[in-house]
Amino acid sequence: MVTTVSVREDVATAEPPRSAGRRRARRRTYLWSYVYLAPMMVLLLAFVVYPIVASLGYTFYKWDGIGDPTDFVGLDNFRQIVHDSIFWRSLGHTFVYAAFVVPTQLVLALALALVLNNKRLRFASFYRTLFFLPVVTSAAVIGVVIQLLVSNFGDSINDLLLKLHVIDQRVDWLGDPHFALAIIILVGIWHTFGYNLVYFLAGLQTIPDELYEAARLDGAGPLATFRYITIPMLRAVGVVIVILAVIGTFQIFDLVQVLTSGGPYFSTEVVNTYIYHLAFGGSNANAVQPDIGLASAASFIYGVLLIVFSVVQVLVLRSLAKRRATGGKA
Amino acid sequence: MTRRRVVTVMTHVALLVSGLAWLYPLFWALGSSLKGDDDFFSEGLNPMPSHFLWANYLDAWREASFGRYFLNTLVITLGTVVVTLVVTSTAGYVLARTRFPGRGFCLGLVSATLFLPHGYTIIPVFDLMQRLHLLNSLWSVIIVQASGGVVFGTFLFMGYFMAIDRELEDAAQVDGANFHQTFARIMLPLSGPMLATVGLFTAISAWNSFFIPLVFTLGRPELRTLAIGMYAFIGENSTEWTLLCAGTVITLAPIILLFLLLQRFFVNGLAGAVKQ
Repeated sequence: MVTTVSVREDVATAEPPRSAGRRRARRRTYLWSYVYLAPMMVLLLAFVVYPIVASLGYTFYKWDGIGDPTDFVGLDNFRQIVHDSIFWRSLGHTFVYAAFVVPTQLVLALALALVLNNKRLRFASFYRTLFFLPVVTSAAVIGVVIQLLVSNFGDSINDLLLKLHVIDQRVDWLGDPHFALAIIILVGIWHTFGYNLVYFLAGLQTIPDELYEAARLDGAGPLATFRYITIPMLRAVGVVIVILAVIGTFQIFDLVQVLTSGGPYFSTEVVNTYIYHLAFGGSNANAVQPDIGLASAASFIYGVLLIVFSVVQVLVLRSLAKRRATGGKA
Repeated sequence: MTRRRVVTVMTHVALLVSGLAWLYPLFWALGSSLKGDDDFFSEGLNPMPSHFLWANYLDAWREASFGRYFLNTLVITLGTVVVTLVVTSTAGYVLARTRFPGRGFCLGLVSATLFLPHGYTIIPVFDLMQRLHLLNSLWSVIIVQASGGVVFGTFLFMGYFMAIDRELEDAAQVDGANFHQTFARIMLPLSGPMLATVGLFTAISAWNSFFIPLVFTLGRPELRTLAIGMYAFIGENSTEWTLLCAGTVITLAPIILLFLLLQRFFVNGLAGAVKQ
């Protein structure tokens, strides 16, 4: 890119001498611009763009990751993935995870943001810090702590919850397929809740006080104010928050890998752990040989699904926000 | 008036109690890291140790290799922060200030990758590192970790530099400053808050990173980071729970302290990202 441009500029300098100095200065600026930009572009092209293209290439080979891929199998890897029930189950678990985590986080975060946004409330930023803190902790390490708590003191937790009548019989927390996923969901809600809280607080702060003032003068109660001012004014930010939350949950890996490694019997396998186990060998009961081709095919299918899903999501949420906004005005 | 007071006090009590309960897993890990083995089991869910056993930290640091993991994590985090800041501040500056041929293409490429889902492309990256003979080195983790954050950082710096008045640069250029001097002496010193924001984001994600160091240090236990060390520890010495809790504190405390010191940059950065 740099060379072609400088060649063209060389031809251009054969012009009247008056502008030659300025041209040379501009050419030097361009040249240094490319130098400044180059490291970022190299990292981007080599580690973000190239892998997207390259992963498609691997999908046509049966390859364990050692040496060069030579065993061409055509679309066999795709066929295998599409017929693998565990792939579909892990896709299902990923959706279940997102379906529980996102709405719960959004509702709780909005409620807490409304409380903390009250200007008369003192120490609001201290409380915000308390609820935000899990975000800066490592999901893997949190997974280890929860593992320790549950595997050593699952009985104590059972005793406590039995006493509180939350459960009516003892539970094998990480050994029971249903509860293992539930625990991952709970920890997932806890871990990234703070992002949504901060996003909602930022959104609430963009709403001008005069609107609330005017509503109060018109005799609107807190519920009416929430319904007719807060919600409509949060729509634009809300769309971004939902998209970020959904994209975030679909990337889940650390918590699952540390807490259950996808077990028991694949009951908590999500797509990213499924791909990891295919590519690098599983710590699961049916540990498989590394199969990069198969893992790449699964990655590719998931990547396409995610892109389609994000585009649809953006379009739907945008039009929904727009329609409601115009409907509200009419 | 009194009724409002009651409501206020109740709100504070509710917020404080729920906020502290929210952090229970962290308190539990902190307390358990100071317990003896007997204590750990008899006290169970109670985070308070009956006596403080500081030796756990020494044992975790020395015998359970957490000292080495700490050093690896520190090197990776510092390396990633430095690489990211250098690469994104220069790129952000150029994209904000010069209209060079090809700018539109670069900007388009950068924007497009912002919306692509990441994480599923680890296999080609792994293969690339293998071919560059960088596999199983801290460098591979630093480079891959940094490349994951360049787009986000470049955008933040670009926006920040665009908002700075051009007059300062024009004045510098009249005084004979060249391209580098303008950037290094005028613009970079002005971008302190953005350096802090991007640096902190990068530091937190590098310190906490699990997937990338897991994949790139699979064959070399001595290159493990704290998070990977903790994960491996569960599998290998599955009885020394109190050491594991000490490891948790060693892992979490530095990043929590860093966050508490610089949290306004972090929170403002997040808030800015969503308001755009």
